[in-house]
Amino acid sequence: MAYSNKVIDHYNNPRNVGSLDKAKATVGTGVVGAPECGDVMKLQIEVEGDRIVDAKFKTFGCGSAIASSSLATEWIKGKTLDEAMQIKNTQIVEELSLPPVKIHCSVLAEDAIKSAVMDYKAKQGAGAPLAETKKS
Amino acid sequence: MTVCPHCAAELESPAGCPHCKVPLEVPEDASLFDLLGLEHRFAVDVKDLRKRVLKVSRDIHPDFFGTSAPGVRELAEKNSARVNKAFEILSDDAERADWIVRDLGGPDEQEERAMPREFLMEVLDWNEILEEARSRTEALDPRLEPLASELSERRGQAIASIGALLTPMPPRGSPNLVRVRQELNSIRYVDRALAEIEALRLARASVR
Repeated sequence: MAYSNKVIDHYNNPRNVGSLDKAKATVGTGVVGAPECGDVMKLQIEVEGDRIVDAKFKTFGCGSAIASSSLATEWIKGKTLDEAMQIKNTQIVEELSLPPVKIHCSVLAEDAIKSAVMDYKAKQGAGAPLAETKKS
Repeated sequence: MTVCPHCAAELESPAGCPHCKVPLEVPEDASLFDLLGLEHRFAVDVKDLRKRVLKVSRDIHPDFFGTSAPGVRELAEKNSARVNKAFEILSDDAERADWIVRDLGGPDEQEERAMPREFLMEVLDWNEILEEARSRTEALDPRLEPLASELSERRGQAIASIGALLTPMPPRGSPNLVRVRQELNSIRYVDRALAEIEALRLARASVR
């Protein structure tokens, strides 16, 4: 299966790889996985007011999963939380020309955005940073 | 127990008769367990399973039917393929559980895919270690062996929990099937990490 040029570009030069401090109240962390292939994706957002000012991701998976999450961070930077929640996996499929067998990668990226926004909202709702569940 | 339609002998497997030495028609809806004359249950004795497969293969192996009528030869091929496939699935704990969940109408990995956040965070941690280990060029990362032991132990626990959920065999639509699917999903992540550790070990061994 051939990857599109856009997938290869994101794979070779992934945008916004890294981590934000997930203990910070203004950071939302999304983590999702695909049991079919064992891919796992972390997507983090930093929010000011209701706008996403920074986004980082770390994806362990195939080229399409990396490209989907790289593109997702590019798209959500500067958007409001509501706008970010509107992003659909089909837009990612279209932008990256993903073949049918790789559509689940774009679903993963959409879910990762939602998971990050929900984590941020939960933190805000709780009024304080949530207790960390990570053990290490 | 089914009997041979030709000689009325009792059959261990409906795929072939050890007395007539012929392959027999097996109903399309016969289950993997039926095919090897086993009770439907999660616990399987792999030694016994292998013995059954070898036994029936002696009666139906396609090599013995090279000069037989085309119908018989095809049946021998078809039954042998079915028996081998059944062995492949039934001899592997995870594949057997996956087959049982599907057979009982439980969810597949598309329908039941969400995993607890804490679990996925751990998967990320394993992958961070593996990524660093891959970039090391000198010695094998000292964290790999402890990680491998931890993952193997987790796999064992998941299989044990699956065994408990499937014993006795739950009815169709049982909530236990959802829980088995979740355990199987966790095994997918564990196996992927274990496979990467194995690849790193092999790469290191070939350098030496």
